[in-house]
Formats: sequence, structure tokens, C-alpha cells
Amino acid sequence: MIMDREPLVRFEHLTRRFGELAAVSDVSLDIRAGEVLALLGENGAGKSTLMKLLYGIHPPSAGRILLDGRESPIRGPADAMRNGIGMVFQHFSLLPALSVRDNLLAAWPATPAYIGRRSKRAARVLDRLSVIAPDIDPERRVDTLSVGEQQLVELCKVVNLEARVVILDEPTSVLTPAEAQRLYDFVLRLAAEGRAVVLITHKLADVEACADRIAVMRGGMLVADFAKGERTTAETVALMMGRPAATAEPAPDRFAGRPARLVLREITASAAGHVLKGISLEIAGGEVLGIAGVAGNGQTLLAEVVAGVEAPSGGDVLLDGESIARRGDEPHATPIGYIPEQPRDNAVVETMDLSANLRLRALAAGEADGAYDVAALIRRFNIAPSEPTRRAGTLSGGNLQKLVAARELGVPRPAVLACYPTMGLDLGAVGTVYEAMFAQAAAGAAVLWISEDLDDLLARAHRIAVMRGGAIVALVENDGTLTRDRLGAFMTGAPAEAAA
Amino acid sequence: MSAREGWITFAATLAAFLMLSAIFFLLLGKPPLEMGLSLVEFAFGDAYSLSETLAKASPILFCALAVAVPGRLGLISVGAEGQLYIGAITGTALVLGFPELPPLAMIPLMLAAAALGGAAWGLVPGLLRARLDINETIVTLILNYCAVLFASALVFGPWRDPANQGWPATAPFPPAAVPPAVDGKVHLGLLIGVLLALALHVFFTRGRAAVHIRILAGNRKVGRTFGLDFAFWVTALMATGGAIAGIGGIIEVAAIQGRLQPSISLGYGLTGFLVSWLARHRPLVILPIALLVGGLLAGSDALQLFAKVPAASATILEGLLFATALAVPGLIARWRRSDGN
Amino acid sequence: METDLWILLAGWLVATLRSATPLLFVTLGETLTQRTGVINLGVEGEMLAGACFGFAVAVTTGSPWLGLAAGALAGGTLSLLHAGLVLGARANQIGSGIAVWMIALGTTSYVGRGFVGQKVTPLPQLVGPGAGDGLLGVLFRQLTAPAPLAFLAVVLAAWWLANTRAGLAWRVAGESARVAAENGLRPTWIRLQAIVLGGLLSGLGGAVLSVDYTQTWAQEITKGRGLIAVGLVIVARWRPILVLPVCLMFGLAEVAVLRVQAAGVEASSYLIATAPYAAVLIVLVVGHRSARRSRTMPADLRSIFS
Repeated sequence: MIMDREPLVRFEHLTRRFGELAAVSDVSLDIRAGEVLALLGENGAGKSTLMKLLYGIHPPSAGRILLDGRESPIRGPADAMRNGIGMVFQHFSLLPALSVRDNLLAAWPATPAYIGRRSKRAARVLDRLSVIAPDIDPERRVDTLSVGEQQLVELCKVVNLEARVVILDEPTSVLTPAEAQRLYDFVLRLAAEGRAVVLITHKLADVEACADRIAVMRGGMLVADFAKGERTTAETVALMMGRPAATAEPAPDRFAGRPARLVLREITASAAGHVLKGISLEIAGGEVLGIAGVAGNGQTLLAEVVAGVEAPSGGDVLLDGESIARRGDEPHATPIGYIPEQPRDNAVVETMDLSANLRLRALAAGEADGAYDVAALIRRFNIAPSEPTRRAGTLSGGNLQKLVAARELGVPRPAVLACYPTMGLDLGAVGTVYEAMFAQAAAGAAVLWISEDLDDLLARAHRIAVMRGGAIVALVENDGTLTRDRLGAFMTGAPAEAAA
Repeated sequence: MSAREGWITFAATLAAFLMLSAIFFLLLGKPPLEMGLSLVEFAFGDAYSLSETLAKASPILFCALAVAVPGRLGLISVGAEGQLYIGAITGTALVLGFPELPPLAMIPLMLAAAALGGAAWGLVPGLLRARLDINETIVTLILNYCAVLFASALVFGPWRDPANQGWPATAPFPPAAVPPAVDGKVHLGLLIGVLLALALHVFFTRGRAAVHIRILAGNRKVGRTFGLDFAFWVTALMATGGAIAGIGGIIEVAAIQGRLQPSISLGYGLTGFLVSWLARHRPLVILPIALLVGGLLAGSDALQLFAKVPAASATILEGLLFATALAVPGLIARWRRSDGN
Repeated sequence: METDLWILLAGWLVATLRSATPLLFVTLGETLTQRTGVINLGVEGEMLAGACFGFAVAVTTGSPWLGLAAGALAGGTLSLLHAGLVLGARANQIGSGIAVWMIALGTTSYVGRGFVGQKVTPLPQLVGPGAGDGLLGVLFRQLTAPAPLAFLAVVLAAWWLANTRAGLAWRVAGESARVAAENGLRPTWIRLQAIVLGGLLSGLGGAVLSVDYTQTWAQEITKGRGLIAVGLVIVARWRPILVLPVCLMFGLAEVAVLRVQAAGVEASSYLIATAPYAAVLIVLVVGHRSARRSRTMPADLRSIFS
């Protein structure tokens, strides 16, 4: 029935090039009212770029977009909003320094010229919020809200758009399972109201939960477009990856039980609005301890304390019995292999070349850099472009991530600390990084692995700790009986009895 | 940036600057080509012109190096002017305090005193940046005004030589404190400046400190993770820059003016900033650019005399040069981008 | 006795207001520019241009009002250069500001030569001599229009930034150009407007300095006031309304120094002249920690300031 209607949006042979790279290549696709379209694909498949063409962020290099059957007049996001197209971006689309009210007003097409307290018209921007999240004080700065609350504000922004086409870019990537369920209900309600919803995602769970139709992209091209149920999950995965789905990775060897190598003892710390409230963990040589939790619950601060970037206000970090915690602002380095989040900002010197970046640890310590075989590391981690003399700043985010993984995991380490080490990587690279990480464990390193991907953690970690509000709220053996839902319950703070 | 792109940017900047200068001379009602040629003539045409140019290039060189040293760490110091004044003051203090020193002791001690004064003046913004994270650009700019006023306070006050009647200046320096001249206005100072540039080139390109500074300049967070000391390098390089400008200051006073006067510098601090920026803080590149800009200043001085070109022309031309150098790389990048699509 | 006290108090107040007024305009302009995520050290040059061209027009036309208008225009025009470099060519903002300053230094010293020692018709007092002897009477008899105008501009700007859609758009652009664009705003256009408004206000501030406050032109008359304004923006934590107390405090310090000197305290006038610069350094040091803690710096400025 849905299929008969005139499509709201029609892409005809759309192409978008960035220099040499065709991010979107000859895509033709319809978006219809009352339908949830899942735009499925790996990272870098061109999903977000395709939708940014519709939203006017980039103009297409070739092809055209039809809106209600006519050539699209959209030249920028302002045009898109006027034409009833709304997009929620993957990360940081709320401004942390502004109040909830200002954030909502900034994204609302109907915002009046006067937005003071006494403006009745401006106050209407809060109507939706009082229904979706009555507990949130609209005058609070967004950076004082929890991640879950921020997501609610984000959703409120979308509803306020009154958009005919709602584009959601990876909306579940920072949500707990329960929050994700709330989002699915919300998406279905939008479609029931007659709106077209485009859900950009790389998770099959999202597709299962609420898609009517699935469009699969790979390497910038649309490889399939079909109604849900027409293909099996395995077929869908094969389309997405361009090869049959690999059989499930073998679970890691059960941890044999060696003495603790990396010890976190009662760590307390505070920085930039985050706190750690007495975190204690012991990781043995050979063990992989996963830390699950919604981003923004103190993981980054914990990582920086363990890696010696920030000083703890109390407690200690011990490696093989010796303290490696930073004290004050004196220069301090640890021997831990450390992959921080956002490598471009936190782990790479963009002005130096690949070779120097790969040898950075030795260069900084003034040691011989013989341990780093630059050419071999570049080959093994498949870093492209691969000339060692190339400036690191010219590489893509994914390749910088590989570069950092190569430096930190490519030579033997006593311990490894990896924050979201596979974020933004294609499947092949994910395999390489995990392989290197587990090889470190196999060689006797203690591995601390912070991740948002519960499935990955369940498949590969020996033990999983759950972090919430700056504390470890659960520490469980990954003995095969652990489930997503149980971890999710810990993450949201549901009572332990209910979780078990 | 590859070497080829570097040359393209250089050529485009030069072309744009020449065009703007031509427009500037046209606005003044002067024939641009003739003015340009005379400028070059007056800057580099004969031995006398060259010596005038080198005399101008010397303080510019010191000021540019003073900007380049913290610049290597990614700091933007505009404090060379003030550091030059403070160096001139502390150097003069030594000369006035111990006028009887023998020549062999006088000049080294005078330079050391100037270096210490300049270093102290650079240390203030360095410490504020390292300890309190206060922006060094604003602090160095404000300290410049204080330093100039200090010099005036001394020269109009306790240090004024009564023998000068109304004229504000200290007593003339004893011959022992005047750096030996090579030829005309070309003196020992220039040699010191060139040696400093060579030494800094080696320091910033070889050895462990060079790598540490490059890492910290590229990414402070990475430096911190790997145990490098940003605070130390901020203070050390700011102070070193100050010391270099301070030496430049006392040399200008001792070799050119022969006594401390209220006005030592003709905007050498800002000119040095421009030179260092054009050279991307590379000491070896600073050498020729300081010479060229010194020629620009000396040449426009002569033009002012012979062609009635306003005295402010040099400053305006410098400003235009700076604006061009800032605009061209961005415009080339923009043109490339639109070309790519 | 009581009237003497009033007159003394009014004297201080008037002097403070008059000394703070040029700075108020410049600091307000720079605050607004920085709220959209652009720092402009060129305000020193724009202020200088305003002082020079404002004075020149006031002398030639005989109208101080035209002088003020011309000063604002000169500042606004010069700010276009900064806008072009920073927004058009993505040049380094600090470098661009200094280039603008250099060009203004040279140009004003050339253009201003002929006006050294010239006199302008002063602006009229706010009220005539018959306005009574109360505090307000004494106050308004000695004040000219720019002071209340500056107050009004600050209050208006603070209100506008907080209470209008356009003001919100400026704040959004300062926090993140990317999010602003995603929300359908045009951050480059907003920043252009903010730079030019900052230039107009700086030019006006410069013209007030030369035409109204000192009533003279001298080479480099601003003596770093524009740079001080950039420092004061930090102290005022990027909030227009705090520009008021910060600049008034600064004006008071300047007046106190002048009065101390006039009272016959033995000290070099040059040493005393360093007081305003020392004062701004001290407030920067004292105020910086709390400014950091209050997290009010526009997020897009952070990459330039760190």
C-alpha cells in the first residue's frame, strides 16, 4: 500500500566526489511518507554523505534530487528545514554551553524574533519537551545533563521540526538498550503520523526493530533496496560487507587465572565535569577486561588516569607492583600501550610524518627506535596512503586510528589500554586491531578495553565491568551466560535482582 | 607542504605584494615602477646603501629570532619590542654602573646583562602561560607598552645626563662599550645575530630537544602522554626569545646610537614578528628575509628623502606584505578546492 | 560641606565615565566579535583608524558628530580586511589582526600628520548650565553624549544577545560553526557581521577618544587601548553586561593615577603611565582562573586561545 504513493524524495543517479574519492556513486533511491527506511552500511559506505546531499550540507557532484516530483530547491540546511526536512546528526549536535531552551530554539524553524522569557510564542518550543521529558529544567546548561537526558532533548528537537522527512544518523550509537527501545517506539510513532523516517545505521538490531524498508550501501554505491522480510539477516549482512558473513568469532580462551598485573586501587579523580568515585580493578597478565557503559560516564577520565595523562586525586595505579600514576604536573609517562579515543586530537602529531608518528614513543623517551619497523607496521595495519614520509595530518580518521593501533599494539607491551579502538574502522581493519590486541594478551599483557559495543565485548572479553556515574557498578565473568539485556540493565541502573 | 607548493605560494605572494605596492604608489601619485626600482637601488645599490640596509636588518634579525624561538612551540609572542627595550635598559645599567670596565670584559658583560633583562621580560608571559594558561599574545603586547615607558622614565629621570641640557638621553657610552664596526654601520652585532640564527637552526633541527619541541608544537596532549614537559619549554623558550631580543636592544643602543634614548626601536618588534612569520619560524629562512625587509626599511628611508614619499610608507608596505602572505596560501587552497569539484 | 562632597564625587564619576567610554565601545565590539568565535587583535588598528579619520572629519567639517560617524565607518571599513583574511582566506586570526594593526599604524601616521595640533569643536554638554547643583545636575553638565550612549549600547547588546533569535544565532555560531550550519544558520555570514560590528564600535571608540575625550590627534594615540580591550574581554568572561563594570574599574584606575599625580606625589609621569597596563595584567591574572572555571568562553575560540 505504501509503495503506491508518489515518493516524497527521489534521488536520481546521485554522485558526490571529494577530490579523488567518490563518497556517493550513482545512487537512485526513493523515500516515501509513512515509511521507515533503514539506510544500512559499514562505516564509510556513504550513508551519511548521501543524506547530507539531501539536507544541503554538500551539493551533489552529479545527478539530481526530486522533492515532491520537482527539482529540489535545497541549497543549504536552511532551505532543507523550510522544505520540511530535518536531520539529527551523529554526535555533538547539542551545544553543551547553551541551555536546553536555547538549544531547542536554535533548531526550531518557528522561532520568533523575540525569544525572551515573556515571549509566549517562544515558550511553545518547550511544549514537546514537557511531554517527552517533564523532569528536565529547560534553563539548565546541556553539559549538566546526563547522556540519556541529552538524547531526550535531541529527540525533542526532531519532533519540533515538524518535518515531513526525518533523518536520524546513527541515533542508537550512544544509547543503552532500554534507551534504544524508547527511540524505536518514537521512530515508529513518527512514521505512523505519516512522516518519512530515514534511519542511518550499521546495526542490524536497529533494522530488526523498526525498519519497513532497507537500503544497503557499500563503497558509495547502493547495492540493494528491499522491503523488510524479503531477505534473511545473513543475506543482508553479506550485502553490507560485500562477502558472506564470517562465522562467529571464536570466544577467547577462558582466562587461566594468573596473578594481577595491572591494578587500579580506589581511584578518585575529577576533571572537566567528570568524576571517578573510587574505582578498583585488577587485571591479570593475559586477561582482557572489558569496560561497558554509555559514553560520558567517566570512561575517558578513567583512561586518562590509567594512562598517566591526568593525575588521580586519590588512589593509585600499579603495574607489576610499581606505581605508574601521575602525581601533579611533572612530566610523566607510562609503558602502557594506550589507544585513546579520537586519535587525531589525542594520539597523533599531525605535523609530523607517519614514520615519526609510529616511532613517537621512542622519540619522546629518547630511546633507540629499533623496535619499530615502520614499513612492517604500515603493511600489517594496512595504513593508507602508505609512504612513511607522508604528513600524518593528511590521513583519514580511520587510517589515523590504525596508525595509533600500530604504534601501541605493534610492539610488545606489559599492559594495554584501548578506548573504542575500532571506532570508524572498516571490517578488515577491525579484525587486525582485535587480533593485535588479543595477541598482546596472549603474550602476557594485561588488557583493559573500553567499548560501547556490547556484542563485541560479549564475544571477546574475559570479564566485563560496567561503568556508570563514575563508578564500577558491576563486574561479571563473561562465562557465556551473560546477555546484552543484563549488561544494559547495569548500564541504566535497573535493580540488580531484575537484571539477574 | 611540498617544496613545489612552497615555491608556488612564495611566487604568488611576491606577485600579489608587488601589485599591491604598485597600487599604493599610484595612490600616492608616484610612478610605481620607478619607485620600485629606486627602492631596490637605495636598498642594495651600492656599498653605502648596503651598509644602511644591514644596519636595519640587524635589530630586525634579533627580533625575528626572538619571535621564532617560542614560535617553534606554536606560541605567538609579539613581545620582541618590549624585550628589546628591557635588554637595552639592563645593558645600559651595566655600562653606566661600571663605565671603567676594560673592553674585553665590557662588551660580554653588557650583552649578558641585556640578555638577562630580556629573558626576565620574556619569562613573565612564559610563566603566566605555563602556570595559569593565560594567553601569551595579549600579555606580550601589553608588556611592550610598559617596557617603552620604563625606558622613558629612566631617560627622562634618573639617567638623564645633565650635560645634554634639555635633550633626554643618558651619558654617551665609553668606547669600551661600543661594539667594533666592520664597515660603516655594519658591526659585531650582525655577526652575533647570524651566529645565533645558525645555532638556533641546529638546535631546532637536531637532537632530542628538537623532537620534543616538534611533538609539543604539533600536539600538546600527545606530548603530555609521553612524558614531555610543555610548561618547561614554554618558560624556557619564552625566556630565550626575550634574551635574544634583549641582546638586539643593547647592540642597537651601543653600536648605532651610542647612548640610551627614549626611542630605540622604529617598530623593529612588529617587523621582526612579520619576518619570523614569513619565514615560518625557520632561523635560516629568517636570515634572507630579515635582509630583504631591512632593505625595504632602508630603501623607503631614502625614498622619503629623495622622492618625498611619506615616512609611514615602510609600515604600510610591511602591513600589506603581511596581509598578502596571510591571504595567499588560503586563497590558493580555496581555488584548488573549487577547482577539484 | 555636603555640596563639596557631591562635587568631589561627581568630579570623580565624570572623569571615570569619560575615560572609560572609548574603552567601553571597543571592548563591547570585541566581545560581540568573539562571541561568534572570532578574535580580532586588529581592533587596535580599527580604533586608531577611527580616532584618526574621526578627528580629521571633525576638523574639516567642523562637526564633531560627523567626526564620530566617520570614525565608526573607518573602523568598520578596516575590519573588512580582517574579515576577508580570516573568513575568506582562513588566515590565522592573531596574524591577521596584527597585519590590520600594522596597516592602520602606517596609514594613520601618514593621514594624521596634517592634523597634529589642530582643534575640534567639542561635543555639547548633555544639559545646559541651569540644571541645578545636585549630583545629577553636576554630572550631566560635564558629560557629553558618548558616555550614556556607550551604556545604552552595552545594555542593548546584552539584551539582544540573550533575548532575540539573531542574538541566539550569534551565540550558536560562536559555540560551533558546524552545528550552526546544521541548524540552517550561515556562520560565515554571522561572523562577517560580527567582525564589522566590532570594527564599527572600535572605530567609534577611537573617534570618541580623539574627538571627545582628548580633543587632539597624536600619532598612535590609542596606545594599546584596543589590545587592552582584548584582554578585558577575557576578564568580562565574554559577557557584554560585565564589560560595563570591567571598563569602569579600568577608567577609575586611570583617573586615580591622574589625580595622584596631580596631588603632587613625586613620581615619573612615565612610570605612572604604566599603571593601566599593569592593571590589566593584574586583572587578567586574578580573573583568569574564575573565567576558566565559569566555562563561558565560546567553544570555537578555544582552538585559537590554547
